[in-house]
Formats: sequence, C-alpha cells, structure tokens
Amino acid sequence: MVRFVLTRLVLLVLGLGIASILIFLTLRVLPGDVAQVIAGTDSSPERVAAIRDALGLNQPLPIQYLDWIGSALRLDLGNSLITGTPVIDELVEKSEVTIPLGLVSLVLGILIGLPLGIFAAVRHAKASGAIVSGIAQTVAAVPIVWAGLLLILVFGITLGILPAQGFPRAGWDEPGRAFLSLVLPALTIAGIEGAVLLRFVRSAVLEAIGQDYVRTAAAKGLTQNQALLRHGLPNVALSVISVLGIQVAGVVVGTVVIEQLFNLPGVGRMLVTDVGNRDLPKIQSELLVLTGLVLFVGFVVDLVHRLIDPRQREQTHD
Amino acid sequence: MKKHYTQQPRRRRIGIAIGSSVGIVALVGTLAGCAPAVAEAPVASDASVAIGLRLEPTNLDIAHTSGIALDQVLIDNVYEGLLTRTDDGNVDDLIAESHTVSDDGLVYTFAIRDGIVFHDGSELTVDDVVWSLSQVKDDETFSAHPEFASVESIAADGSNVVITLTQPNSSLLWSIAGRAGIVFDEQATNDLETTSNGTGPFSLVEWKQGDSITLERNDDYWGDTALVGEVVFQYFTDSSAEVNAVLAGDLDIATGIDANLVTQLEGNDDYDIVAGKTTDKFTLAFNNAKAPFTDIRVRQAIRQAIDNDALIAAVNGAGYNISGPIPDGDPGYEDLTAVDAYDPEAAKALLAEAGVSDLKLDLTIASFYGTTLTDVLTTQLADVGITLTVKPVEFATWLEDVYTNHDYDLSIVDHAESRDFQNWANPDYYFGYDNADVQALFAESQTALTPEDAAAKLQEAAKLVASDAPAEWLLVTKSNTAVAKGVTGFPADFTSARLNITDLAVK
Repeated sequence: MVRFVLTRLVLLVLGLGIASILIFLTLRVLPGDVAQVIAGTDSSPERVAAIRDALGLNQPLPIQYLDWIGSALRLDLGNSLITGTPVIDELVEKSEVTIPLGLVSLVLGILIGLPLGIFAAVRHAKASGAIVSGIAQTVAAVPIVWAGLLLILVFGITLGILPAQGFPRAGWDEPGRAFLSLVLPALTIAGIEGAVLLRFVRSAVLEAIGQDYVRTAAAKGLTQNQALLRHGLPNVALSVISVLGIQVAGVVVGTVVIEQLFNLPGVGRMLVTDVGNRDLPKIQSELLVLTGLVLFVGFVVDLVHRLIDPRQREQTHD
Repeated sequence: MKKHYTQQPRRRRIGIAIGSSVGIVALVGTLAGCAPAVAEAPVASDASVAIGLRLEPTNLDIAHTSGIALDQVLIDNVYEGLLTRTDDGNVDDLIAESHTVSDDGLVYTFAIRDGIVFHDGSELTVDDVVWSLSQVKDDETFSAHPEFASVESIAADGSNVVITLTQPNSSLLWSIAGRAGIVFDEQATNDLETTSNGTGPFSLVEWKQGDSITLERNDDYWGDTALVGEVVFQYFTDSSAEVNAVLAGDLDIATGIDANLVTQLEGNDDYDIVAGKTTDKFTLAFNNAKAPFTDIRVRQAIRQAIDNDALIAAVNGAGYNISGPIPDGDPGYEDLTAVDAYDPEAAKALLAEAGVSDLKLDLTIASFYGTTLTDVLTTQLADVGITLTVKPVEFATWLEDVYTNHDYDLSIVDHAESRDFQNWANPDYYFGYDNADVQALFAESQTALTPEDAAAKLQEAAKLVASDAPAEWLLVTKSNTAVAKGVTGFPADFTSARLNITDLAVK
C-alpha cells in the first residue's frame, strides 16, 4: 500500500510538472499582451514598449518559467501584473465563492443522481423507471446557460424566493444571504451533472442486476432488492467513484459559465477576465492550482478505489 | 454644474407634451403634473445606492492605465481635476477657482482653490498641482502624456499654477478637464493600482476585483457634500445577468443595458428607462494601406452597400447614423449621412468599374460585441457580391493583430472616446489613412485660438475624411439606463465615459 501511494504521488508531481510547462507555453502562444491591454487604443508603440519594459516582459522565456516555478515551489504564486496583488490572496478570496459552489453542486448532484439512478435501474421495466431515465436524458442534453436562465426566471424573478444574481459584498459574514446566493447556481450545475451521473448509475446498476453473484444471492433466498443492496451496490460504488472523479472537472468547467450568468465573483469569472487582460503570471498560477486540484482528486479516487475494491485490496498482501 | 442632469429629461418630456397638446387645459395639466417634482428638492440621506455597470477597470491606476471604465467611475467622484467637463461639452472650474488664457493662447493661469483636503486628510497645495501636471508632461507611461506635447513649462506662482505652451492648443482645457488635469497628493504613498487618494465628494472604500467598487460620502468635501451615503458599482460581464438584477430589484440604477434586452424591462413599474447620448462610434475600419482598399472606389462601394438604418433597427433602434468621424456633441459635428448613402446598385457599379469581382474579405471583431451587427453586414455585403468572413477574436488579440500589426482587411471596434479625431490625422494609426490635407486641418484646429475656429477646422477636416471613405461609421449608439423610481440626479448622457454622481439622491 505504501509503495502504491508513493508511486501515485510521484505520478501526481510529475503530472503537475508537465502541466506547468504546458500551461506556461500555451499562454505564451496567445496573441496580444498585457502591455497593450494597459495602453489601450489611443497609445503609441513607444508607450507600449515602455510599459512592457517596466513590467519585465522582455526577459527570455526560460528565465520567466524558472522564476515562476521556483517561486511556486516555495508556495509563492506571484503577483498580478495589472494590480500587483498577490495571486494567492485573489485565489483565496474567490474560492470563498467557488469552493462552496462546487461542493454544494457536487453533493446535490450525487443526491439527485445516485438514488434516482438506482430507482431507474430497478424499475427499468416499469413506466416510472422509463420516465425517470427519459427526463435524465433530456436534462443532460440541456445547455447549462439555458438551464440557469430558466431557474432564474422561475425562482429568482417570477416567484422571487431566491436571489437571481450576485453574492453579498460582506461574503460569508452574511451567511444566510451568501448561502441563498449559491442555491440557484448550484442547482443549475447539480441538475445537469446529476442527470449525467444518474445515467451512469443506472447502467452500472442494471449491469449488476444481471451479474451471476446477484442472481445467486437471490437464489439463496434474498429478494432481488436485498441481493442488489448487499452484493450489487458495493460493486456499483466503484464505477460511480471513478465517474465522480471526472465530474469534479465538469463542475470546475461549469462554474466558469455559471459564475458569469449569476454574476458571482468566483475563480471561474476571475480566470475569464484575466485571460482577457493577458495577465499571464496570474493565469498560469490559477491554472496550476486548478490542475493540481483535479489531479489531486484523481489521486484520491485511485486511493479510495484501492481501499474498497476487494480485488485490488488482495494484491496489497503480496 | 449642479442639477442640470435631472432637468434635462424632464424638459424633454414637457416639450413633447406641449407639441402634442390640443388645448390649453392639457398644457396646464402637464405642467402642473411636473410641478411637484421640480419643486421638491433632493434630500440628503445615508442611503446606499447600487449601480450596475458593464465594464470593470483592469486596475485603479488612472494615471497609467487606459480605458474609459476608469474615467467613468473615478473622475469627478473620487479624483478631481483642475477643471471638469459639463454634459453640454464645456469645461467648468473645479480645483481651479478660476482660469485665464492669454490672448496669444500660450499662457494658461489657474487660481488654485483654498481649503481642499485629500481623503487621507492632507491638504492640497499648489505644489501638488505642479507635481501632478509635470508628471503628465514628463513621464511617457502616463496615458495623458501625448496631450501635453505642446506644454513647455508648468510652474507655481503664488496660489496660481501657470502652464506655458510652445504653440496654442485648443484642446488643452478639455484635456485638463480629463485625466491630464487630475491632482494627486505628492506625499501619498498609497498603491495607485488598488487604492486611491483623491479630493472628490466620494472616497473609495473597497474594490472587490471582479465584483464591485464601493464609494463612501466624503463628509469633509470642500464643496456641497453628496446626497447619498454610499454608492456600490456592481459589474456585470453578462448582459442578461444585469437585466435579471433589475427585474429582481437588486439595483437602483443599471447602465449600458443591452438594446436587445431592454424590451424585458418595458412596462416595469419600478424603473424608468432613460435613453441617453454617447460618443460610442462603432467603426467599420478599412485597411487603407492595403489592396483592395487603396482604391477609393472599393471603399465607397462598401459604404454604399451598407444600410445603416437596417443596422440600427437590428439593435432595436439604439443608435443613429453619422457617416462621418465626429459624433453629435463633439465639436465639428455635421450631418454627413448624404455622403456615400445606401445605394447597392451604385455600389455594384463602382466595384465593376474598379475591376473587382468576387471580393472576399475578412472582418476581425472583438467577440464581446456579439453577432448582431456582423450578421446584418454579412447579408448586406453579399447583396453586392462581397463575401464576408467574420473572425471574432478576444479584445487582446484584436489589439495585437489589428491595432498593433495592422494585419486585417476590415475591423469593427467601438471607438468610445470623445473628441478622438486625431486618429484620422495619424497615418500610423491602424486605419492606415494618410491624407496630408486632413492632417494640416487638424493641426490648424489644434492651434486655433478660439473654440469656434477649432470646431470649424475640424468640421472641414471631417468632411474631407468622410469623402475619402477610409471607414464606414456604422452607428453611434444610444445608451439605455434603468433608474428606479425615487432616484434622482443620475446623468442620462455619456454615461459610459463619465458618471458624475454628485447630485445623486434617493427619495
């Protein structure tokens, strides 16, 4: 087990290293630079050059990369070129919106997808099961922006029971208002991610129902449902956890769109703005943190898999 | 400069009422209906007013960072200049108590007002003024630096500040009423990029990046203190999010409402929709230095192929046609819509005469302008046999490809700045438009001794530019602002460039 964890850790670090080079190089290919953005549409080439010089953008790329990664290793993510504020401060501030939003979305998505997926599988031959999976099929195909607009229209404007946009300026010092602000955005992401999850769970459970061990358990006197619950679901859990790992990335992408639509000051919206401003040192650190997060979730999923999969567990006794 | 903002829309409404009234009874009724509103003076309160805006500044450094998003929020409210701009296009004294210009137009004298303090409590001195102006003159990273090209010296003389020029400059007062004239505290050590230390009626409390800017009333203001306690500028990158905020009642004022979404707010009892003027010129620029645009017939043909009225209809009527480089409200404006007016048959004939057939052109446009204009243009140009390929790019990419490298055929950008005619007199600008007569006329307008002479020269130059067809001016937008009932004193015009909230009040 220790060797397993160590190999995974090495892979995680290697993955981050490669990602950092890719992030750094991809951003340098983007046309336009921050000096032009600062100088705007009424400036001379001389002024752009002066700003570029003042910002230290004329250094060779390898030096820029080493500077960045060297500081990152010392947990210093650098400063924004435009505002001079430390990237870490901005990330922490914006995470107050995005992390709760992502977590609530994920939890809601599981609460929707898991029970309904099992229900749809168990009842797959009945009308109720068909209706549930039909709805899931439709919802999973809905564009996220459209789903958000619909929820805003119904709950935010027509009924007026939930905030349609924005996050309180005082943040979590106003916990009630802050939480309510996240309900509609989280529902939007969770609805769609939940529908995707539902379809996964449904087919995994359906597959389990057809497995020999469930049939055998049923033959030994358990009802179909008992057999499924005791022997089928632990196996279903394995594939669901893998899917959840992928869904974390889906939620991260979802927040980028949803934060614009609901006017939430989160990481996704900040990232879009920073790319528009070509604030490269800031973007690359933000992307590195997000990539690290997704890779870390993958690492945890691997570990959990190892712990709950009897087949993999046995290998560790070798 | 007090009050005129509130008066203007009201006057307009009365005017319409008079025109359509049949009898004197109706007239009296209309006037009586307005009377209480006019008589009722705005009351000071500690209210907090939430204002929705569309474009957030990249940072708060108004000395170095371009973009009118900064001027919009900070000038007149947080920072003050020697002079200020009035909404009828004039300048007014502000930190300067008075100013004089010598007869030869070379010496400008500003008497500096006494008893002004910065938000950090330190006193504004004549030295601060000289230091602030000198930085603009000497430091080329200042965005206003080019506007002081003709400044020879800036010096203190008792409580006066004297600017001496090498040649007359008819734009100098306008510049000084803008960024070039802002007075900073020489002793201050605050971080200009995220904080501010001005002298205005509001001080900056917080900038929550990607979200909002909060201003608070400056109770020690040298003039009349503001009528509200706090103003929160809330930024919306998504146009429907702003409209949703209005519909949900989250905002007191929403500026820059998307013209195609404004119908959602019609019939809403809680808000008035105020139409305003802008200097936002949506300019379809031709790359004049490059074939086929070196042939004036091709340029004229494209202009004649474009039906501006159809474009304006496509944006829900939120614009007007100028067909020239100067918008209504800027000096030198003249209705040039007759020049190369819509005539697709004439356009086809011109293209044939120029020997151009099956023309294929790329149109580079910043993606945040949406697709309404480009969809209509694609159809209109197809009618005369021109195939348009629209290339939506990020603004930063547009800056690199079009603005810096001049690598484009056609480009659309909103030239939002007022009085920016100099771009047509600059052969190095991305238009690639080079006409010595225009440049000479512009130079003469700059050195003119009276505003009237300057405007006349500009008008002449603008006419010349229009007849050269270096671009098609698609439209000048009209802004839509939603103002909650009971909120008064909010400017109606030019809100994307300046948002003076000194008179803002809540009932």
